[in-house]
Amino acid sequence: MKTWLGTAWVLVWKDLVQEWRSRDVLTSMFSFAVLSLFIFNYALELSPIDRAEIAPGLIWVVMVFAGTLGLNRSFAAEQDQGSFEGLMMAVPELSVIYLAKMITNLLMMFGLAILVIPIYSLLYNQSLFDLRFFGILMLGAWGYSAAGTLISSMTVQTRMRDLLLPVLLFPLLLPVNMAVVKSGSAIITVSALPEFQSWINLLLVYDVIMTVVSLMVFEYVIRE
Amino acid sequence: MLSENKTITILSVIAAVLFVFAFLMVIFYAPIEVNMGLVQKVFYFHMSAAWVGMLAFLMAAIFGILYLVHKDLKWDRLIASSVEIGLLFTVICILSGMIWARPIWNTWWTWDPRLTTVTIMAFTYIAFILLRRSMDEPSKRAQFSAIYAIVGFVTVPLTFFSARLLRTIHPIIFGSGEIDMNLNQPMLTTMFISLGAFTIMYVALLLQRAHLMQAEDDLMQLRMHTEIDADWEDQADA
Repeated sequence: MKTWLGTAWVLVWKDLVQEWRSRDVLTSMFSFAVLSLFIFNYALELSPIDRAEIAPGLIWVVMVFAGTLGLNRSFAAEQDQGSFEGLMMAVPELSVIYLAKMITNLLMMFGLAILVIPIYSLLYNQSLFDLRFFGILMLGAWGYSAAGTLISSMTVQTRMRDLLLPVLLFPLLLPVNMAVVKSGSAIITVSALPEFQSWINLLLVYDVIMTVVSLMVFEYVIRE
Repeated sequence: MLSENKTITILSVIAAVLFVFAFLMVIFYAPIEVNMGLVQKVFYFHMSAAWVGMLAFLMAAIFGILYLVHKDLKWDRLIASSVEIGLLFTVICILSGMIWARPIWNTWWTWDPRLTTVTIMAFTYIAFILLRRSMDEPSKRAQFSAIYAIVGFVTVPLTFFSARLLRTIHPIIFGSGEIDMNLNQPMLTTMFISLGAFTIMYVALLLQRAHLMQAEDDLMQLRMHTEIDADWEDQADA
């Protein structure tokens, strides 16, 4: 167990260092996210009250779309340099690779949220600084990374690659999207939502199920 | 023990006869519903199609697990066949539902949990077929198909649950949306006959499609062998 988690941590650290040196992925995700916010501004000319209501949905949609950029790149380093076999031999169990990549993707979403939330608050003059809202975004990001890492590990091995990821991933994400948007907007608009606890439970159930199932099947994705 | 071909033929004949029988029952035997009138008759095939769509998805996930355990391409062919049939029936279900919803709910579409879930299911099927089409190597393709069938199936109940949770917040726009269909005995009989007909049709189509895929695979094998042989002859000539 200790080597398992230890190895995962080493792999996460490796990916983070690699990303920090180039900052390719996070920069693209960030630019894409901010550009989307600009597009949304002109597409949805809204009164401040309506805007408050849809803000959590907007943030989440932007994060989901920008996140696919990161997901598509999550196995890129190994693919480009052909070091995947080495990686497979270096780990005690193949599921460690999944865990590490998932945590890396989750951290990327975390970084993206930290960058996007202040910019949104600034551009739209509406404070989204709320720890509970951030917590919900992170619960959503966990489910998103759990499903997304598994799917992207499959799509990088297909002919259509990047094209296929959203098509395969988005149908699976519907529960997460609904839960994040609904519970998030209840927090931001400070309105009572009787089903609030159910939404959070749903998010947690989704996250746990997706992580466990992916850990179980991941070795079939990468083993010949 | 019957040969596979014979079983398929017999099942297809039973399915065809039952289907015609169910169709005639819907038209002549089932009474016209008091509130909704003729359009309610869509219901029998609509519900049977929905049932087969769900069943096909469940079976694909089960075949997926069987493939991962046994690594036999037989299960892979069954997964792919089940998904193709499931997509067909899910689309039939959605379209027939729309035909019913237009006069009864006064709209083609509403964000009801069942509608949302079924349509997302159809998109998962489409994604599955795209995934298969973009892969060549049979064993890898089979593994990915199995995994996606399992993961896709796992999310279906969650999607349904979340869509239902959403519905309870929204006001029910169509006040008479949930018309309880009080089915009398002839209606119930018709429903069960069509359910039976569709289920047998599913099994027949499934076996037929898997059989066809097997033939495709065999043909591919033969082609590869003849090409290799031809290459050998070329080399021998040179």
